[in-house]
Amino acid sequence: MKKQTHFSRMRVLLLLLFFPVVLLAQETITGRVVIQGSGEPAPFVNIVEEGTNNGTATDIDGNFSITVNSLPTTLVVSALGFTEKSVPVQTAGDISIEIAESSEALEEVVVTGLATSVKRSNAANAVASVSSEELVGLTPPQTLDGALAGKFAGAQITRSSGAPGGGISVRLRGVTSVNGNAQPLYIVDGVYVNNNSIAAAGLNAVSGAASGGNASNQDNPSNRIADINPDDIESVEILKGASAAAIYGARAAAGVVIITTKKGKRGQTKISFNQDFGFNTLLNSLGQRNFTEARAEALGAGNGALFAAARDNGTLIDWEDEIYGEQGFISNTSVNISGGSDNTLFYAAFSNNEEDGIVDNTGYDRKSIRFNLDHEFMDKRAKLSISSNYIDSVSDRGFFNNDNTGTTIGVALSSTPPWAQLFPDANGNYPDNPFGSSNPLQTRDLITNREDVNRFIVGASLDYKVFENDKSNLKLILRGGVDYYELITTAIFPEILQFQKPSNGGLNGVTALGTTENKDANYSAFLVHNYTTDKDLNFRTQAGVTKLTFSRNTVRNITSDLVASQTNVDQGANVSVTQFRQEQEDQGFFVQEELNYQDKIIGTLGIRGDKSSNNGDANELFYYPKASAAVNFHNFDFWNVPYVSRFKIRAAYGEAGNFAPNGALFTAYTNSLIDGNVGIVVPVTLGDPDISPERQKELEVGFDASFLENRIGLEFSYYNKSVDDLILQANAEPSSGFTTRFENAGNLENRGVEIALNATIFQEDNFDWSSNLIFFKNTSEVTRLDVEPFSLGGFGEGLGTFRIEEGRSVTQIVGNDANGNLVVLGDAEPDFQMTWSNNLRYKDFTLSFLWHWKQGGDNVNLTSLLTDFGGTSPDFDDFDFDPAVANGDFRVAAFFAGNATPFVEDASYLRLREVGLYYNIPSSVLDKAFAGHVSNVKVGFSGNNLINIFDYNSYDPEVSNFGSNGLSSGVEVTPFPSSKRYLFHLAVGF
Amino acid sequence: MLLLSSVLMLSCEVEDGSNLNGPTTDTISEDLSRAELVQAMSGVLADMRTRLGTQVDVQAVAGREYWRFQSSDPRWTADLLTGTLDDNTFYTTVPYASRYGTVKDINLLLEGLTNSSADFTDTERAATRGFANTLKAHELLMVLNLQFQNGIRLDVSDPNNLGPFVGYDEALTAIFDMLTTAATDLSNGGADFPFTIPEGFDGFNTPTAFLEFNNALAARVEAYRGNYTSVLTLLGNSFMDMAGDLNAGAYFTFSLTGADVANPLFFALNSTGANARIAHPSFITDAEAGDTRVGKAVMRTASLTQSNLTGDHDVFIYDSNVAPVAVMRNEELILLAAEANHIADPVAAVAAIDVVRIAAGLPGYTGGTTPAELVTEILNQRRYSLFAEGGHRWIDLRRFNRLGDLPLDRSGDATFEQFPTPANENR
Repeated sequence: MKKQTHFSRMRVLLLLLFFPVVLLAQETITGRVVIQGSGEPAPFVNIVEEGTNNGTATDIDGNFSITVNSLPTTLVVSALGFTEKSVPVQTAGDISIEIAESSEALEEVVVTGLATSVKRSNAANAVASVSSEELVGLTPPQTLDGALAGKFAGAQITRSSGAPGGGISVRLRGVTSVNGNAQPLYIVDGVYVNNNSIAAAGLNAVSGAASGGNASNQDNPSNRIADINPDDIESVEILKGASAAAIYGARAAAGVVIITTKKGKRGQTKISFNQDFGFNTLLNSLGQRNFTEARAEALGAGNGALFAAARDNGTLIDWEDEIYGEQGFISNTSVNISGGSDNTLFYAAFSNNEEDGIVDNTGYDRKSIRFNLDHEFMDKRAKLSISSNYIDSVSDRGFFNNDNTGTTIGVALSSTPPWAQLFPDANGNYPDNPFGSSNPLQTRDLITNREDVNRFIVGASLDYKVFENDKSNLKLILRGGVDYYELITTAIFPEILQFQKPSNGGLNGVTALGTTENKDANYSAFLVHNYTTDKDLNFRTQAGVTKLTFSRNTVRNITSDLVASQTNVDQGANVSVTQFRQEQEDQGFFVQEELNYQDKIIGTLGIRGDKSSNNGDANELFYYPKASAAVNFHNFDFWNVPYVSRFKIRAAYGEAGNFAPNGALFTAYTNSLIDGNVGIVVPVTLGDPDISPERQKELEVGFDASFLENRIGLEFSYYNKSVDDLILQANAEPSSGFTTRFENAGNLENRGVEIALNATIFQEDNFDWSSNLIFFKNTSEVTRLDVEPFSLGGFGEGLGTFRIEEGRSVTQIVGNDANGNLVVLGDAEPDFQMTWSNNLRYKDFTLSFLWHWKQGGDNVNLTSLLTDFGGTSPDFDDFDFDPAVANGDFRVAAFFAGNATPFVEDASYLRLREVGLYYNIPSSVLDKAFAGHVSNVKVGFSGNNLINIFDYNSYDPEVSNFGSNGLSSGVEVTPFPSSKRYLFHLAVGF
Repeated sequence: MLLLSSVLMLSCEVEDGSNLNGPTTDTISEDLSRAELVQAMSGVLADMRTRLGTQVDVQAVAGREYWRFQSSDPRWTADLLTGTLDDNTFYTTVPYASRYGTVKDINLLLEGLTNSSADFTDTERAATRGFANTLKAHELLMVLNLQFQNGIRLDVSDPNNLGPFVGYDEALTAIFDMLTTAATDLSNGGADFPFTIPEGFDGFNTPTAFLEFNNALAARVEAYRGNYTSVLTLLGNSFMDMAGDLNAGAYFTFSLTGADVANPLFFALNSTGANARIAHPSFITDAEAGDTRVGKAVMRTASLTQSNLTGDHDVFIYDSNVAPVAVMRNEELILLAAEANHIADPVAAVAAIDVVRIAAGLPGYTGGTTPAELVTEILNQRRYSLFAEGGHRWIDLRRFNRLGDLPLDRSGDATFEQFPTPANENR
C-alpha cells in the first residue's frame, strides 16, 4: 500500500519541471528509474543535470534519456514523495537508478478551509484521519460509518440494528443536539451527501409501535451514508466539532466527515480485482430457559403436559436458533482500473457487495460504479476533477423492534416456548401461534420490508491558477455537486399471516409502497491568494460563496384488505396516501486568513455567514467565527530537547450552527377523515415561528509530541464544547391542545479529553510492528434549561428514560426506584473508551487487529422484560437480583411496581472489532508463475467482532430501538441481533 | 474579497421557507372561510375519536367492566388495577391530551369564525357556535370524568397563558353553562348548519335536531350534579323516547379509508394476549338469569390468562372494526330518567327501569322502591345496558360513593377515584 501512497503525493504537488534542453549534443545517458524495494518503474520522475537547467522526466515505464554537455556529471533525481537523490554518472549509456520513498514528503495534509488544506504538522486541531488501509484494510466493512468505529478518538458509533445495510448513529464528542440533527455532515469529494434515515416503509401501520406514548420512529430504516462503497475511499477526515468545522457554518455543529475517494495514478494502467467470501453468525446466543413441567405449566394450564410430551418426543425447538441461527452468506466483488498520463488521471471501479442476514429473507446488496477523472490543461494552470458514482442498493430489513400488536419477530419470539409448533405443513400452511399474535416463522418467510435505492452522486471542481509569480499566486476554485436518489420502500404483509387474518382481527393484508425522491445540490466559488514575504512569512487568504439546496418528496401509499395474494397498492379495499415535502435553500459566504511563519507559528482567522429558508427570517445572516494557532517548537533554533523530535502546542476556537428540525417553525394541521369528509386537526407539537438555530462554541487545546525520531507520537487534546439556544421539543401543558412545543430553551456543554499514542515498536527488514492506542472520554451537562425538566427517548419513568434536567448530564437515564422516587439510574455516556490497533508484518505476512473497550455507559434493556412476560427468558430462574426471587419474577414484579431499576444496565464491552491476517505472495514467485502478468496477489482471512466480552443481558450492548438521531440510542426492545463475520479474501493486481 | 462576497450575498435573496405539508393553524384562526369551516368542523368531529379506545379502556378497567390485556404493555393489568397511578404515562396523559386537542381544534375554529371576513350570516354564526360549543362541552366533560376532584382547566385558548384549574363542581357548572349558551345559539341557528354533519349524527343534522343532543348531554351533566328536576326538563327536550329504539342516538363512525380510522374498541373473538379485552368474570356471574345483555361478552374457545388474571369471555360490543361507537343513546337517557325520578317519583323510575329490563328479556322490576334500593337497581341496569361503552360503571359508582362494591381480583389490587393531573401541566 505504501507504494500507492507516494504516487498520489506525486500527483498532489506537481513539481514536474520541464526545461528546454539545450542541445550541445555531447553525451546521452539512458536508463530506468525504479522504486527501491518493489523494483516497480517510477514514471514522471524529474531528472536534472546538476547545476544546469537541463532536465527531463521518466516516461510511463520509468525510462528516460538525457543528453548532457560533458561527462562525468551528476544527475539529480527527484519526485514528490521520494527522497531527492544525486547520481554520479561516469559514462554514457544505460544506467539504473533506485529511488526511495521520503518519509517527510509523505506527510499528511488535513482540511482547514473549504478550498485549502495544511500539513498535519501545522494544524491547530487534532483532526482525525482514517486512511483507506485503516478503513477497509483489516476486514471489509458493511458500511462506511460502521467502519469508522474504534478508529479515531471522540466518537460513539452505535448500530441500531443487526440487519445488514446500516442504521448507524455517529456521535462526535458527545451529544450536540437534543431534538435537532445530531449526525455529522458528510461531504464526499466536495459533494454534500445526504445521510437521512427515512422511515417510509409504513411499518407502524402494522406494528403500532408509535401508537403508544412514543411517536418516534421505531422502524429502523437504514441511513443513506451506507450507500457509499468503503472500497472507493482514499481517506476520511473527521472534524469533530466547531473549532475545526466552523468554516462549514450552519450545518456543522454535529461535526463534518470529509471523504476523499480514490484517484488514478500516473503510470501504467493497473487493474485490481478483489473477491471476499464469508459468512456471519449470531454474535451472542442467549440460549433458552431451562424449562420444567412446573415452569411450563405456569405459562398456562396444560403447558406442562405439552412440554413433557415435546421433551419426550424430542420435538422441543430452540426458537432462537431457528430464527437467528442462520449463517448469512457474504460475497464482495470489486474490480478497479486506474491509471493516468501526464495530465489526465482516471479511476474506474465496480463493486458488488452482498450480505445475507442471520435471519432468513434479510440481507443487503449494493452495486456501485464509480468513475473519477482529473484532467490538467492550459499548461497545467487549470485542473478539472470529476467524481461520479452510481449506486443501487437493496436492503431487506425484516420486521423487528418494538410493537404494540405482538407482530414483530422479536416480540413474537418473546412469548413462544420451545414446545410451540409453528412449522408449516406439507402444503406450506403455517399454524397460528397459540402463544402470541403472530407466527414468527410465517412472518419471517412471508413478509417483505425492503428499501431499494437508486442514487447518483456527481461532483465537479475546476481549479484555475489566475496568476503566479515568485511571491504570490491566486487561484480560483469552482465546485458543484448533486446527490440525487430515489428510495423505494416496499412493505408487504400478506393476508394469510396470522395477524392479518380478519378472523384474528387483522386487516386482511397490508401492502405499502413509499417513494422518496431526494435531491441535494451544492455550488461554491472560492478565491485563494498566497503571498510569501522575504522573511518567509506566508499569508494565505481565501474567500468564497456557497449555495446549497435540498429537496425531498416522500409519498407513501398504504393499502389494506387486499385482493387475494395481490400486492399492488390498488389491489385492496382501503387505500391511504401520505405525502411529505421539504424544500430548503441555504446561502453563505466565508473569508479566512492563514499566516504561516516558517512552519514555526501558524495562525488562522476566519468567519462564515449563513442564511437559510429554514430560519424564521430567511435573510438574516448568522455568523460563525473561528480562530486558531499552532506553535511548532521543534522548528525553532533553540529547540534541542533530547529524544523529543517534535513538539507542537495548539489551540482552536470556532462556532457552528444546527438548523431547527423540520416543522419547528410551523404549527401545521394534519388531515383527518370521517364519513368521507376531509378535515383538519391540530398536530401534537406547537411550532415557534421565531426559532433560531442552535449555536455550538468549541474550544480545543492540546499538544502533539514525537519522540525518538518520530517513532513514538503522542497527541493530547482537551475540548470544551457548548451548545447555546438548544432547540428543545419540550413538553407543553397538554391542556393547551399540544403535547410538545419547540423552543430555544437551554444550553449544554461537553468536555472531554482525547489521547492518542502511536509507536513503531519494531522496524526491521523482516519484521514491523506498529501500534496505536487511543483513549477518550466525554462528560456533558445541561447548563441552562428554561423549561421544566422533561423525559424523552424511552418508555417512561417506570422503564427508564432519558431526562433533560439543568445541572445534570445530558445523557442521564432516570427512572423510579423501588420506593417510587425518580432517581438517576445510569448514563448513556461511557466513562471512557479505549481502542488499541496493531499492525504486524513478518516477511510477507501481515496481521492487524483492533480492540475496542467501552467502559460504562448504560442502556435501557426491555428485551428481557418482554421475554419475562412471555416466560421464556434464559435467565428467568436465576437469582441475580434477589436470592429469594427468580430474575423473571423479580423483573416482572419491578415492572408492576413501576420500578425501573432492573432495566437500566451497564453496556460496557471489550471487543475484538476487527482482525485480519494476510499473505502477499512474493513477486519472485508471481513472476515465475505468471511471467510478469500479475503484479501482486494477496490472500487472507479476517473477521469482525470475533471476541466480545460483556456482562450485558442481551445480544449486544451496541443497540438502538429508536434509530440514529438525538438521545435515543441505547434503548433496546427485541432488536435484530448483531452478528460476527468471518471472511476469506483474494486480491489480484495486474 | 469580503466586499465581493458580501455583494454576492446581498444580491441573492433567499425566499422564506413555508410549510409544504398542510395548512398552518393561523390560517384558520385569523380568517375562516366557508370551505375552511367545513373542513375545520369535520376535523373536530374526527378528532373526537382520537384515542377514544384508550379512554374507554382505562375507565372500563378502573370500573372492573373488563380487563385489557396487552402483552407489550402490562401497565393495563398493573397500575390500573392496583391504583398506583403514574402522572406521566399513557393512561393519564393520552386521553387527557387527546380531548384537549379537540378543544384546541374548536377554539381555533371559533376564533377564526369571530375573525372571519367571509359572508357568514348571524344565523350561521350562531348555529356554528352552538354546535362547536356543545362538542367542546362534551370533550371537557370527558376530561373531567377522568380528573374528577383534581379539576381541569377551562380557559385554554392561549398556550402561553393557560387559565387556572377549577374544581370538579365548578367545572361541571361551567360545562353546563357552556351547553346552555350553546342551546341558545342553536335555537337562533336557523334551519341548516353551514357545514357537513357526518352519518353518525344523522338524526341531529339541523340546529333544531342537534338541540336534542345538546339537551341530552346537558341532562347527563345535571345528573352528575344531582339536579334531577333539571335532568327531567332537559330529557323532555332531548331525543329520549321511552317507546323507541334503545340504540337511537349519536354515533362516531369509522372506516378504513384513507386518513379515516378504524374502531379502536374492536378486537376479533378469541384474540391473544397481545391485545384482548376480557370481560370481568363478575359480569357473567352477577347477571340475572335470562338477561340477554350478557351476550355482550362472548365465551372464548379457551380462557386467557395474563398477570394472574384469567377470563373466559371476550368483550364483543362491536362486530367489526368499522362498527360505530355511541356518543349517547336512548338507553342511557331512559336510565337517566329513572335516576332523576328515583326519589321524587319511584313509579316513574320503575317504569323507566322496566323499559330497559324488558328489552333485555327480563321481567319487570319487583324489588323495593326506597331510594337506596332503586339506586342499586339503576346502577345494575346501567352496568349491563352501558357495558363497555364509555366507562360509565366507574363514574356511576364514584357518584354514589360505591367504588367499594367493585371486585378486587388479586392481593394488592385497589380502586381509585380519579387520575392524577398530568405531570406536564406543571400544576
